[in-house]
Amino acid sequence: MTPDVTIPTLETKRLILRGPEPQDYPDFKATFTSYRARFMGGPLNAYESWMLYAAEIGHWQIRGYGMWMIHDKVTDETYGMAGGWKPAQWPEQELAWVIWPEAAGHGYALEAVSAARDYFYSQLGWDGAVSYIDPKNLASIRLAERLGATKDKTAKTIDGNDAVYRHPSPTQLSGSQLAHGIEMEIGHYADPLFKPKGWAID
Amino acid sequence: MIDLQIPLLTTERLVLRGPDDSDYENIATFFEDADRSWGFGGPLDRTGAWRWFASMIGHWALHGYGFWMIETKEGDLVGFVGIWYPEGWAEPELGWVMLESGEGKGYAYEAAVQIRRFAYEVLEFDTLCSYILPGNTRSVALAERMGAWHEGDIENVSHGREMVYRHPAAKDLPGVIV
Repeated sequence: MTPDVTIPTLETKRLILRGPEPQDYPDFKATFTSYRARFMGGPLNAYESWMLYAAEIGHWQIRGYGMWMIHDKVTDETYGMAGGWKPAQWPEQELAWVIWPEAAGHGYALEAVSAARDYFYSQLGWDGAVSYIDPKNLASIRLAERLGATKDKTAKTIDGNDAVYRHPSPTQLSGSQLAHGIEMEIGHYADPLFKPKGWAID
Repeated sequence: MIDLQIPLLTTERLVLRGPDDSDYENIATFFEDADRSWGFGGPLDRTGAWRWFASMIGHWALHGYGFWMIETKEGDLVGFVGIWYPEGWAEPELGWVMLESGEGKGYAYEAAVQIRRFAYEVLEFDTLCSYILPGNTRSVALAERMGAWHEGDIENVSHGREMVYRHPAAKDLPGVIV
């Protein structure tokens, strides 16, 4: 575990992903103590929320990967978190995300999770990943599907209350129509004149 | 970059170091044992212990202080002692845990005195307390040996009602330079 882990910074079209820092905690707390956190083990009280934020940082040190804070490239404002997550009882390494409620509907999660997945596949040699999603969390299920993940009914769940979405492997993703589609969708969101149709999605 | 910068402290018989991967098993074993961990928010299953371990590391990054792992000079882990201040705590607390192997030798006292000194001299704390669950007589004995007194009680967000033991201020401790 020692020496201290360096958390890489990832840049995308609109976003910069950096390690969680002390000054970002109030944004995290606002979401995790709210109804928005109902699919992520919440809402949490202030103590639980702080301990979870501390664990997000400790996770990087223990596993060598973890969750990034999603920042706007221009304003530095935070929009949520995305990255890899594997606490003790997780059967497999997870691609996870959370978007602050007021930042939903701009495709930020798609852009951030896609960058995190590319990083884990190309830099850390992951051969796949899953996302554990509450079956009632339709926005997250939709995002998993836009990322090309499909429901894996045979995979081990965390505790039986979650659905497992399996992401395409690096080989399945590389140069695929899906990868181009994701890139195109991110491009649309980056266009200031683009108006997404229908329900707001992360 | 995670900059934990955990200082290595030593005492006559002990080495106080930052947490390491190898500590998790010992911490999980401690938390699974209700008889030993009830005074420290336990018992916790391995999942809960892992979360606590990860939070404990993050605590260093968020505050610049936290729990040190306490080893003998021979390298045997005997406990963990440090300063703990998650959100919801009224103030930073000096806390301690001794594993079975470390009990009855005065290790907790030796480590806690050194960390209290570090808190006053390096972190420039003005005061320190220890929260102790009623009935935890061994912790009360240690707090009193350190010169702390029962100041009152407090409702802890996670542990329920606890006794507040107030430590002497830096100026009242011989050998502490402020």
